[in-house]
Amino acid sequence: MAEHDLTPRLALHLDRHLVLPLLEFLQERGLYPEEEVLAAKLRLLAGTNMVDYAMAIHKSLHHGTDDDEVPEDMVARRAEVVASYVALQEAPSPLVAFLRDPQLVQLLRSDKQYNARMLQERFQIGSDQIEALYDNAKFQFECGFYSDAVAYLNQYRVLSTNGERTARALWGMLASEILNRNWDAALEELNRLKEIIDSKNSSSPLNQLQDRIWLMHWSLFIFFHHENGRNGIIDLFFQDRYLNAIQTNAHHLLRYLAIAVVVNKRRRNMLKELIKVIQHEQYCYKDPITEFLECLYVKYDFDGAQQKLMVCEQVILNDPFLGKCNEGNSITVPFRDEFFENARLFIFETYCHTHRCIDISILAEKLNMRCDEAELWIMNKIKSSKLDANIDSVSGTLNMTVNHVNVHDQIIESLKNLNKRTYMLAQNIVEPAQAALQAAQGD
Amino acid sequence: MASRFWGQGDSESEEEEEEVESEQGSDSDDDGGRGGAGHSSGGNRYLKNQEDDSDESDTGHRVIRSLRDKRNEEMRSIVDQMRNAMKINDWVSLQESFEKLNKHLEKVVRVNESTEVPKMYIKALVLLEDFLAEALANKEAKKKMSSSNAKALNAMKQKLKKNNKQYEEQIQKCREHPESFEDEAADDKDMDDDDDDDADESDAEIEDPDKIALSESEEERDEDDDDKEGWEQKRSKKDKLMDKQFLKDPSEITWDIVDKKLKEIVASRGKKGTGRIERVEQLTFLTRVAKTPAQKLEILFHVISAQFDVNPSLLGHMPVNVWKKCVNNMLLVLDILQQYPNIVVDTSFEPDEKETQKGADYNGTIHVVGDLVAFLERLDSEFLKTLQCTDPYTKDYVQRLREEPLFLVVAQNVQDYLERVGNLKAAAKVALRRVELVYYKPQEVYDAMRKLAEQPEDTLDDDAEAGDEHQAIDDNRGPSPFVVIPEVVPRKPTFPESGRTLMDGLMSLIYKYGDERTKARAMLCDIYHHAISDEFSVARDLLLMSHLQDGVQLMDISSQILFNRVMAQLGLCAFRAGLINEAHGCLTELYSTGRVKELLAQGVQQSRYHEKTPEQERLERRRQMPYHMHINLELLEATHLICAMLIEVPNMAASTYDKRRPMSKTFRRLLEVSERQTFVGPPENVRDHVMAATRALNKGDHQKAFSVINSLEIWKLLRNRDHVLEMLKLKIKEEALRTYLFSYSSCYESLSLNQLTTMFDLSEQHAHSIVSKMMMHEELHASWDQPTKCIVFHSVDQTRLQGLLFQMADKLSVLVEGNERAYEARTGGTLEGVPPRRRGEGQDSSNMGKWQENFVSSQGRQGGGNRFGYSGRGGGSGQSGGHQRDRGNQGSRGGYGGGSRFQDGRGRNQSGSSARGGDGGARMVNLNRVGRV
Repeated sequence: MAEHDLTPRLALHLDRHLVLPLLEFLQERGLYPEEEVLAAKLRLLAGTNMVDYAMAIHKSLHHGTDDDEVPEDMVARRAEVVASYVALQEAPSPLVAFLRDPQLVQLLRSDKQYNARMLQERFQIGSDQIEALYDNAKFQFECGFYSDAVAYLNQYRVLSTNGERTARALWGMLASEILNRNWDAALEELNRLKEIIDSKNSSSPLNQLQDRIWLMHWSLFIFFHHENGRNGIIDLFFQDRYLNAIQTNAHHLLRYLAIAVVVNKRRRNMLKELIKVIQHEQYCYKDPITEFLECLYVKYDFDGAQQKLMVCEQVILNDPFLGKCNEGNSITVPFRDEFFENARLFIFETYCHTHRCIDISILAEKLNMRCDEAELWIMNKIKSSKLDANIDSVSGTLNMTVNHVNVHDQIIESLKNLNKRTYMLAQNIVEPAQAALQAAQGD
Repeated sequence: MASRFWGQGDSESEEEEEEVESEQGSDSDDDGGRGGAGHSSGGNRYLKNQEDDSDESDTGHRVIRSLRDKRNEEMRSIVDQMRNAMKINDWVSLQESFEKLNKHLEKVVRVNESTEVPKMYIKALVLLEDFLAEALANKEAKKKMSSSNAKALNAMKQKLKKNNKQYEEQIQKCREHPESFEDEAADDKDMDDDDDDDADESDAEIEDPDKIALSESEEERDEDDDDKEGWEQKRSKKDKLMDKQFLKDPSEITWDIVDKKLKEIVASRGKKGTGRIERVEQLTFLTRVAKTPAQKLEILFHVISAQFDVNPSLLGHMPVNVWKKCVNNMLLVLDILQQYPNIVVDTSFEPDEKETQKGADYNGTIHVVGDLVAFLERLDSEFLKTLQCTDPYTKDYVQRLREEPLFLVVAQNVQDYLERVGNLKAAAKVALRRVELVYYKPQEVYDAMRKLAEQPEDTLDDDAEAGDEHQAIDDNRGPSPFVVIPEVVPRKPTFPESGRTLMDGLMSLIYKYGDERTKARAMLCDIYHHAISDEFSVARDLLLMSHLQDGVQLMDISSQILFNRVMAQLGLCAFRAGLINEAHGCLTELYSTGRVKELLAQGVQQSRYHEKTPEQERLERRRQMPYHMHINLELLEATHLICAMLIEVPNMAASTYDKRRPMSKTFRRLLEVSERQTFVGPPENVRDHVMAATRALNKGDHQKAFSVINSLEIWKLLRNRDHVLEMLKLKIKEEALRTYLFSYSSCYESLSLNQLTTMFDLSEQHAHSIVSKMMMHEELHASWDQPTKCIVFHSVDQTRLQGLLFQMADKLSVLVEGNERAYEARTGGTLEGVPPRRRGEGQDSSNMGKWQENFVSSQGRQGGGNRFGYSGRGGGSGQSGGHQRDRGNQGSRGGYGGGSRFQDGRGRNQSGSSARGGDGGARMVNLNRVGRV
């Protein structure tokens, strides 16, 4: 099943810290040997300041072997990190001291220029100190103190006049909020960042593309956790620029887009566009989910679709974003269930659309259901008048009602509208003319 | 050969003679001008000028021959005259001749630059003296003479006596050793013959370089050698006056002399009477005596441009041998540049007079004016021209083609050099030239070229080697060059394993540094290459992302041609991949005018209605592609027609009631023509074949259709022929099934799947999927009966009246839309209160939307669903955007609503027919705008 795992491709566009949860998930799923995952984690942590965590992993990785001693450099690194942390804690810069005092903070206004001048004049806090705040935040972030990092970055964002670094600070905030599982705030950051990316005319198209791809990857965390994320992902990914970015350099995101569209009942209209994109990109990306849609809506191959659907289950379960379980209940995986429910409906709809008379047992097979279960399901559909059909229980078939619209009705329908439109047009023309006439008479 | 050696010996001996004087002269004379010149060297100057004058005056066949020879020749003829006169005892003419001889003597002496009287003259005097004595002795004869004759005899007697006193000594010598005088006369004659031959030969070459280029290369080489040496020799005689300054002691030649001479030669360009080839030779000689590397470089630049000058007309091409020498010169230039990195070549910098005087040990940068890229581009276009002019079925063509690596190596080296000096813009230009030689080669051809280039030198091309040897001979014979440049630049091209790698490398350079045109062309080449390597999706994405179609109208004609060729290849590629719609989209525009040959620059097409001026024709000829780059037109036509057939036949069957807009007008027209024929013979050409297949397919006879297509000859041109034919067979079956259902569905109440699969030889699953697709797309009003595996048809036929009503509704809605639009255009605002008609509304329903709704809407589209207004409201979702975009031609887009099959779900190739580019002369295919969805 590892062949459908997207982690390596996703990780390319994520921050180190953001990859950790993915690895965490992989470890849980046991898709790869545990040693490999641990080794990967260790490599990941080597770039951060989370030395204690790294040491723990090192121990568990080399557990039982001779060298379960923590290597020298790690120990040295730890000492170094701790030293600088302590230094930061104990001797806060004047700016930090300033910011810790709520009364002083009141003095700040929304005008950045004013703030900078005021700080400079009254507290001798120069721009280099403000920049130091950014480095400070970075350090906190590397240590894994994400909420501290957010606090610092937020203040930095308010004070700094350096545009580029402000954008970077935003990225930092986004990552921190995601890692804090603070989805509302993260979504806010995301939108702020998106505005910056889209409005930046100066940066090269290549950078913009790269930024968009990053943003989309990071947004996966938010969208698959936030309650309104399912609409959000569709809104974001289907924007022309973002769709282009996907098609250019991040084809694997199609999986998430496909899932989001399938799961979201209200956005059924995007399906057609999605299919187009999937078909267009099938030469460079396909996985069971996109193939399922292709089978169903391009080839109308119901058997194929059903087979793909079976494979989809594993894919979803193994995906770090989709396969997460509900808290406390390890059996239900919401995305899997919803996906299956909807996919079943898709097959059923399409099947009914092309058939007049269907054997229920066959239908049950296609839908991956037991026969009586399927019958019940269909009955519910009919009852809720979502399906215009009836069941012939003697022969065990479902008979669709074929109803034609009368040709006369069609013609009338098509002409009725014209009448109104012409009327409106005429009125629109006549009114101003009359008004003008009256005005002329008034004179 | 003997005479040649002799000739050389002669010149050497004379050089020795002359050294004495010129040694005095050269110091004072060279920059001092004429006034201060010594007596004898002053003569030199004068003579040289005179030589120039005479050259200018004689315009006919120029027999090139040194002045001295000419004078001697004249003298000899006078002597001959005298002999004749003696024989008939004609003293009158004898007297005349004698006077002439004396006059002439002065000239000869001057030319020979010796105080010595020519031996010939002395001999004539001796002869005359003897004859006079004899005549005087013969008293009787004397009496018989006429009075005038006798008078002349007496006058002669006195004159001779007076004259001979001056030369008494020599006459004495002559009488003692008559044989030594005899010799020279004979030799002189010999030499002259030789001269004449050479002159004739060279004349021939000047007049008709093509002839030489066309003759067998072996011969040509020999002849070439002869020529060359002939030239060499002649020059050594004729230009002796010039060369003697150089041929003497190498240490005596200064930078100034060379520079002055160079300027002189350069200034002579284009003047009447200066031979182009001579200029090349003179300059080549100068390169050898150049004093500094920089000067050598400068002269080499002049040599190269002189070589480009050899062929004066735009139509002809540079002689092949000159081209090769030019290549060698380029390599030499690069050698110098590599050896002396402080020499900088540029065009912008205005070097001072003495710039090139700085020697090899000079540390700063030396600027030399020149444009390597321009030379290289010229070299390339000359190469192309030879190929254009050569008959592709001859051995010459192949031979010439084999020289391509020769150019590639220069290009590679120039590019390396430019990259090294950091002139990346220019390097990108050079890279483009290389790309243009590689892009059209499939991997097989590329491999062949690579192998050819990697062969050891002697088997590779004897020509080049012969040339080198030749060069060596030249060098040995002359004084060894002052500036010896080792061959530092590689003489062999290096090619990466696959053409793709090479292309990628060059591409990345061009994309980074090239200018707009370079980039666009490179992009087109890249797409072309992807297309011939069967990577359709990559090629397509490149084309779409680069937005080349938008700007192609504004590009130059050769780029437009390239674009057309790219589209053609893209079409072929799509066809091979089984993407019929895409292939059709690429090719249809190309064939809509019937000027394919012209659009692809693969031959001139005579148009019946439009007479071309000779000027246009010439221009067109110059744009032609060389034969080896041609795209097979038959294959292209077959591809286009087959694609059109596969699309159009079901389309026609589906729209028997209403006149649906044809997908391919060209195909429809051809079909009409072929249907008008009273008698249908067996198919002969590609078109006949496809028409026959169409007739079969129309009836649903897929076997016959395929066998007719299969019998086409051209399939053997395809690399993966079996695969393509297999694909084609399947497609034909599918379309036959569709056509059958369209045509005969009204005759059936139900139809079993089993029957369909046996009829069309398709798998059950495949047939099921095709029929389902038709149902979903409302092309077929039927549904499956699953337990019995039958198709049950719904009879939803409309009456004639109803059909007409639909059409009327259609037209009315078009009318209303037109009015609304006019209103909007007029007022600038949208109509208020009008029921939603386009925006937003198309979003909510679709074929795969809520299926109940779909049932309703689907019914509205029976009969083809081409009612724009209606289907736009009911079921045509997602088309509102397209509708707005294409307002201009929406009236004519019936097939849009229902025919989503034809859109292939991708929105490609569907914008209406596009405006042709301006005048008829713009060779453009504006292929359908392809917007990335």
